[in-house]
Amino acid sequence: MSRSPGTVYRGRSGQWAFVAHRITGFLVFFFLLLHIVDVSLVSRPRLYDQVHQLYGNVVLRLFEVGLLAALVYHSLNGLRIVMIDFFPGSIRNEKRVLSAVVSLTALLTAVGGWIIMKPFVEGRLL
Amino acid sequence: MAAPVLEPGPTGGRRLERRARQNYEAWSWVFMRLSGLVLLFLALTHFAITHIVNDVTETDAAFVGERWSNPLWRVFDWALLALALSHGLNGLRWIVEDYVHSHARRTATKVALYSSSLGLFAYGTFTIVTFQAP
Repeated sequence: MSRSPGTVYRGRSGQWAFVAHRITGFLVFFFLLLHIVDVSLVSRPRLYDQVHQLYGNVVLRLFEVGLLAALVYHSLNGLRIVMIDFFPGSIRNEKRVLSAVVSLTALLTAVGGWIIMKPFVEGRLL
Repeated sequence: MAAPVLEPGPTGGRRLERRARQNYEAWSWVFMRLSGLVLLFLALTHFAITHIVNDVTETDAAFVGERWSNPLWRVFDWALLALALSHGLNGLRWIVEDYVHSHARRTATKVALYSSSLGLFAYGTFTIVTFQAP
């Protein structure tokens, strides 16, 4: 298949932004299903607290950082989609906005990730 | 993502059917943008409270009890539950329609998806509404 530059979407940054949007949305959705079940234990406080302590474990802390990254990317890229849909002229800046989305995701994940991992780094928790 | 496509369609009953489907997809498109904007605020606020401002190990049953003693937080959490589930469900419907090509398997996947989401929506609503602080 021949490609005409400027009109082919496939393999360009927009397609990767779309793929990442799907994957992050999919992951957050399945976390939500798990989260509905774990919160439902709150009617039995002792059991809830036991299960909940697991979230302080280093493996699940890393999982929370991943959740943060997925949430922030999906939120910011969602704003980018809304921007392109409602202000079609802004498509000209689409690539620069995408790099802002990626950098801001990295920055917020790094800052939030540091706060989430801090108790482990300081050796207060396993 | 699944932007509504307007094109001259067939005539008669099939045209009405197609128009109904186009309307449905157009509204689903609008819904994704609006719910997404609200969720940006709800989900990030929720994450900040439960993982950044408070450490996750501090958000025990007593923490939930204190928060849910205020009905506004229950409304907040229920809105987050309802919007996140419906936004995610519609997103997953798009994914299923894109990748599951066989009609029978697509229907089966959607039935499983809709029923489990509806069940969990009822379960989550039950948790929020019936909770009583110990």
